[in-house]
Formats: sequence, structure tokens, C-alpha cells
Amino acid sequence: MAKTRTALSRRDFMKGVGGALAGMAIGLPASASGRVTQAGMSRVVLIRDKNVVSGYRDYDGSLVQQMLDEAVVALFGRDDATACWAQIIRPDDVVGIKSNGWPYLPTPPEVERAIVRGVRQAGVPEENIAVGDRDVRRNQVFRRSTALINTRPMRTHAWSGVGSLIKNYIMFDNPPDYHADACASLAKLWDLPITRGKTRLNVLVMLTPQFHNIGPHHFDTDYIWPYGGLIVSTDPVAADALGLRIIQQKRRLVFGEDRPLQPTAHHIALADTEYGLGNAGMDKIELVRLGWQEDNLI
Amino acid sequence: MAVYDFLPEHINTWTRSDPAVAYDRETIFDYIDGAGEVYRSFAFREVVVLVYTAQEAPDITVELFDMGNPADAYGVFSYTREREETGIGGGYEQKGRVLCFWQDRYYVCVASKERSDRSDRALPELAGAIAERLPTATDPPELVGMLPDEGRVQFSERFFHLHQSLNYHYYLARENVLDLSSETDAVLARYAPGSTYLLLVRYASADDAAAARASFRRGYLRDTEAAGTVETEAGKFLSHSQRDRYVIVVLDAESERAAVDLLRAAEGRLPPPPQ
Repeated sequence: MAKTRTALSRRDFMKGVGGALAGMAIGLPASASGRVTQAGMSRVVLIRDKNVVSGYRDYDGSLVQQMLDEAVVALFGRDDATACWAQIIRPDDVVGIKSNGWPYLPTPPEVERAIVRGVRQAGVPEENIAVGDRDVRRNQVFRRSTALINTRPMRTHAWSGVGSLIKNYIMFDNPPDYHADACASLAKLWDLPITRGKTRLNVLVMLTPQFHNIGPHHFDTDYIWPYGGLIVSTDPVAADALGLRIIQQKRRLVFGEDRPLQPTAHHIALADTEYGLGNAGMDKIELVRLGWQEDNLI
Repeated sequence: MAVYDFLPEHINTWTRSDPAVAYDRETIFDYIDGAGEVYRSFAFREVVVLVYTAQEAPDITVELFDMGNPADAYGVFSYTREREETGIGGGYEQKGRVLCFWQDRYYVCVASKERSDRSDRALPELAGAIAERLPTATDPPELVGMLPDEGRVQFSERFFHLHQSLNYHYYLARENVLDLSSETDAVLARYAPGSTYLLLVRYASADDAAAARASFRRGYLRDTEAAGTVETEAGKFLSHSQRDRYVIVVLDAESERAAVDLLRAAEGRLPPPPQ
């Protein structure tokens, strides 16, 4: 899976020497992207609803369900959500839904329920479905899973730049093994026996993304905002790249300057350029926008 | 004195409600996930976490980090500091429902479960009461005192040790071109005009410093740029030098002259080499 490690420096980013894409995706004040890839386009659906967020961790479950249904229809081009779920999940699949339990901004239960409902619509019995985070290596459904659905909120993170869909698989292995260089090698997590080739859908929760940290690990609602969105794709890198751009744009608006993430979220660009997990460049992302468009930041 | 002794059952009107839980360098990830690496990048030993309650006041979680030494307590405090107030410990910052300060080898955060006017008042009160119980050292690391004052942006100083920390504050390179390690002390600060950075690194020996500067030349500069001041991108200049155990790098200066002036100012603040 791994390609060649690149010795990127700040100068490479600025000069556009092989790192122009990385410069864009990691959040340095960057020149334009100019990547070359053999991969095809990645379709990413951004759907937003003005009324889905009522407050901190207060979401309208029926609107979440409606948004996810519309998103999968737009993503897979089928007549309805049931047909879409049937396209990606077989009745005999064992499905692990990789969630995120960070206490301040977990994957909302409303999103988890909407995904479970979709999997059930595909004919999977309840006993073959599990939602989990820290326990996934011990969870018997995850251990015998044949399909994974990946979902989490995007937030800034003091060691990896952002908590991303790519990073969300870190509980499938020993997390400290992936901490070097601001978690640059997170894409390796997608090539483990328990994950390889299993992911059928990624749902990046952008209902109330976090755009700034307090200290290394604290949280305050001052640094989230009611974006009211979901980003849905089969390509986790493309979904993360889009979410990252939204967070960067929010930081520009709030801080009044191009303030890079600390640290840079280069694991997203490297998931493309070094690991070939997906597309991080906007030139390879087919963005489908649905719903509320005001202040979409993209 | 044990860390627990700084957090007694009663502090003023607050009462400890939960048994304290402690996490060390190995178990910190159980509490803080990957961001625990920030603490591990210093000489962090353990953090004790507990909750204080008081009548008609929000519950307050107290985290008392033993950072191993005062310089590293300052370092983790400076890591994400945007502002700093005086009056609690060596300095404190209150953002939202969280207040953090450093004092001696301890970094302390008090966090209200809810944000309110009452919590805004309670946080400094409880933090101040804890500070009174800690050892009293509040001098910043010696290296921070070596930074030139003129043009330095207030609260921009960051003290750290590792390559990963440098890249957090200023993304220099993926490779560890300056040979930073737990054995090196480093301070980075921002200077005006513009957004110029001054990096000062102290190595264990002059030989180590010379080797690090050579590594920096090889890893970051091009062959023709090995000496003097370099225009690293349009309108941004880099200058660097080594004096005894110290390597100084000026980054993103607005002119060649500005880069050299700041470099010379930093060199002038260094202690004289041993005779």
C-alpha cells in the first residue's frame, strides 16, 4: 500500500516542489494545488440543513435521517436510500459502525441511529451490527466484520491537526504506534486485516465542527459552530480534505488571518500521495452540494 | 510532598467529591487520547484528576500535571497560550470554561462543567487556592530570558524539546533537520514587523550544536546557500549561526537586513562561552 516517503519541508510547500498538494491540504498558507494521480475522481456529498442543530449536542434526529438518506441517494445515484444501502451492504454482512466517543464532541447518537437504520434496511440482522469506538478490537462483531461504516465529527486536534475519518481507525491498532510526525502514517490503519477493503461508507459529521483548541486537550463551545452539515463519501481522504478546507476557512473568518492548523494535518495529504488511500486534491473531487448553501465555506 | 497532598479534601468552600484518578506516561492516552503526546513531549510524570463541588457553584474538574521540572511546566503552558494574565502561579490563561496556570514543576487546569458568570469567577478563585499550596518557583526557563526584547510579540514564546513540537509551532520540515531531542532545549518566538520567527536551541555540547547546524544546512538549505542569509521564498529571509552550545535560526524575516539584525541581537544575548 505504501508509496515512497517524501522528505517534505516548509520550503517544498512554498515552492510547490512536489508538495503543492500537501501545502493545500495541511493548511500552510499555500500556493495552488498541482498534483498528478492515476486515481479517478472521488464523489463527495456535502449536505446541510439550517435547522438540524438546536444547540450544543442538540440535534434533530429526523432531519439527520433525512440528510443521510438524501446524501446516499446523491452519492450512489439510486432511486432511494434503501436501494443505496442495498448496493453497499449485503444481508449476510457483519457490519461494524466505527463511531467516535470523544466526550465533548462524540459522534451524535442521531447519526449512529440513522446509519444503523440504513444497514438494517439492507437486511442485516441486529445481532450482526455493532457501533463502537475504543472497544473495537475486543468487540466480536467488529472482529468478524465483513463491512465497516466510518463516522465521526471533525475537530481540530493538538497532535494530528484534525481528528479525521482517516484517524478514526486508530483504535483498530495500538494508537501510539501512529503518533510520529503528527500522525503522518494514519493511512496505514486502513491496511490492517481488520479494516482492509471493508469500508463501504464514510460519514464526516460537520453538524458542529470544532475549529480551534483550548490547550492540548480541553474543549469549549466557543470553538464550535452550527454548520449543520454531513460529508458523505466512499473516499475517506476526499471527505477529510473537504472538511479540512471548511475548518480552515472558518479559522480565516474568525481570526481574520490565514492561521494554519497546529500541527498541520498533513496526514490527509499523505494518505493520498504516500499511501494511495484516496484523493486529497480538489481537482479530483466531484463535490455535490445539497440543502442549505449559506455560509458553506467551500 | 505527594501530588495528592496539593489537592486536599477541602479547599475554601469546595469539597473533593470523587476519588482522584492518576495517569502516568503510559496511561495518559486513556485520559486524553493522542493529545497526550503533547505532555509526553516534555518530562511529564503524572496527572492527577479529580472533581471539586461547592454549594451554588458549578462542579470543577482539577487536573494537576507533574511536568518533572519548572521549565517543562512553563513549556506545556506556553504550548497553546494566546494570552497570559498574572496573579496565579507563574502566569495563567482563562479561555471559556477552562483556566490553566503553571507553577514550579506543575501545570494545573481547572475546568467548569458549565460556562456561566459564576464559573468565570469560581475558576480563578479555586486555581488561586491551589497555587497557594504549591512550591513557589515561577521563573520562566533560562532560555526564554535570552530572547531579544525588541520587537518580540507578547505571549508568542514557546519552550519545547522535540522536533514534533517545533513543527507544531512552526512547520519546518518533516525530517528532524536540527537534531532536536529530549536532551535539547528550544525556544521559538515571533517578532514584528511582519511575522518573523526566532528559534534558539541549546545543545548538550558545542560539538552537538555544530553537528546540528551542519544537519540543518544539508537538510534545509541548498548547496549554494550554506552560509549567510538566504531568501527561502519570495520576500522571506532566513539567517542562522552557531555559538558554543547554541544554534540560532531566524525565519521569515522581511528583509536580509532584518534577518541579520535579529540574529545579531540574539547572539548578543547569549552567555559567554566557558573559558
